[in-house]
Amino acid sequence: MVFLSVNDLDVQYQSQGKKVHAIDHISFSLQEKESIGIAGESGCGKSTLGLAIMKTLQENASVSGEILFDGKSILAIPDPEFTKNIRWKQISMVFQGAMNSLDPVFTIKKQFEEILKKHDFHEDYKQVIESAISSVGLPRSVLDKYPHEISGGMKQRVVIAMALILKPKMVIADEPTTALDVLVQAQIMTLLKNLKKSGLGIMLISHDLGIISEIAEKIGIMYAGQIVEFGLLSDIYKNPKHPYTFALLNSIPSLNNTTKITSLKGSPPSMTNLPSGCRFYDRCPQAMEKCKKEPPKVMTSSGFVMCWLYE
Amino acid sequence: MAGESGSGKTTIARMILRAIEPDSGTVNFEGQEITNQQDHLRKIRLGCQMVHQDPYASINPRMTVLDIVKEPLDIHSIGNKKERNKLVLQALSQVNLEPVEEITAKYPHMLSGGQRQRVALARAIVTKPKVVIADEPVSMLDVSVRIGVLELMKNLQEKLKISFLYITHDLATANYIGNRIAILYLGKIVEIGPINEILSSPRHPYTQALIDSISYPDPENLKRDKKIHINDPIDVDVYQGCRFRARCPYAIEKCKQEPLLEEISEGRQVACFVKIN
Repeated sequence: MVFLSVNDLDVQYQSQGKKVHAIDHISFSLQEKESIGIAGESGCGKSTLGLAIMKTLQENASVSGEILFDGKSILAIPDPEFTKNIRWKQISMVFQGAMNSLDPVFTIKKQFEEILKKHDFHEDYKQVIESAISSVGLPRSVLDKYPHEISGGMKQRVVIAMALILKPKMVIADEPTTALDVLVQAQIMTLLKNLKKSGLGIMLISHDLGIISEIAEKIGIMYAGQIVEFGLLSDIYKNPKHPYTFALLNSIPSLNNTTKITSLKGSPPSMTNLPSGCRFYDRCPQAMEKCKKEPPKVMTSSGFVMCWLYE
Repeated sequence: MAGESGSGKTTIARMILRAIEPDSGTVNFEGQEITNQQDHLRKIRLGCQMVHQDPYASINPRMTVLDIVKEPLDIHSIGNKKERNKLVLQALSQVNLEPVEEITAKYPHMLSGGQRQRVALARAIVTKPKVVIADEPVSMLDVSVRIGVLELMKNLQEKLKISFLYITHDLATANYIGNRIAILYLGKIVEIGPINEILSSPRHPYTQALIDSISYPDPENLKRDKKIHINDPIDVDVYQGCRFRARCPYAIEKCKQEPLLEEISEGRQVACFVKIN
């Protein structure tokens, strides 16, 4: 069953008189209990995608297209109803850098209670909070602490527990391990892996293709506001089709020196001044004359690629 | 030099350049102890240059690229005006910022992150230093530009015979450009030696945990369990005996004493009583 389906989603920000086309008509779908990774560099629109699904975009954003979550069209649901029935109850989010937004003057427990109050939760607070905190492998004693008393890794777990507290079916995690130390990073990934095994759908937004492969069956590669390649992670990692995907996978050094790594020239285009045609044109080692025109969306065995090479 | 945040990597770099005063111990550069004497400071600050982590903060937004790269030459009074300009152009072409003439007139806001870091590198090599200290030079850059900057550093090292002290938390990129590696934990070197030996057969449990924690892009990861051999206590900072003790799954009674670096093979030292294998 299709669980999440994003059809022709388009988001534009209005900023200082300029239009920023953060998400340009993207589409993909996900089955129940499947997890997806959204990979791309800074400014490619991956966080905007997460925020659009949560309906938490800023006011200067205009959204069009359709997001179907569990059969319901999210964008068509009025905001109060979305807050009441879906946000945090069906789908929740671990925001980027969220561990730094814990309120320093309240205990962790108070901050959990605030979420429950906001979402009109009337059952036993104590029990759900304790089960959430133990689901992320933290001792109950953490609840009585203030944010400054616990480490970065523990704060990140608290934030993940907050996202899980109302037992959503899906969690969007935006760079959940960035800014954490390497060992702690790996521990958080292990935690997400276990949560996934227990049936949670995860959308992992990251620039790190390595950590995405720890939990995602499917992956979307974003470049300058578009998903340029989408499909099963195993297909894409073994046989990347888009030259950008290929370059990303080949730019990662490993501990054994056998793999040859290649670098990409140039940098991503400015989102306020996007080139027409293929957005990767300037940097693509295989660019051709026809790449100056908008690339076609070509179906692959498990998804699609936006590239003239496969037309 | 690899280690997590707070392990002292940057402090070591700053002490080498005498931006901070060590409490004890010495720094020797080209056979000479560096003290607070003016000529010593000049010597180390000319022969040893630094590239910082954030290229958006480390170059002055109100200076042109020409002035930024020329500044070390001005400070150390190298050459006359014409020679300085020539050296700047040379350095910029060595870091592959082309067309050179066009770049010199630009301001930092007109450059991308990768280009800025190349400007910082050009500024570091313009005085023809013996050593460049690069403190997390690629961690702020986009993934697709990272490897280009690393490649460049590697080329500069080979072509200009500059030694690099590459400070990072990323063992894979360290392996890409390094010959030797020192693993730091809470202000102590726990393992040091040839990089390929250490990464292929780590002897310190902390080094092992660091290696285990790396995720490569591999579809098989999904099915595999991730195993990292560390304990997860609430209070991890220990400053007596082995500092890794609380997190170490191999800790023994003896670890309450301070382990010293001891040589285990040629050029390789490890500070651990257990020495996993």
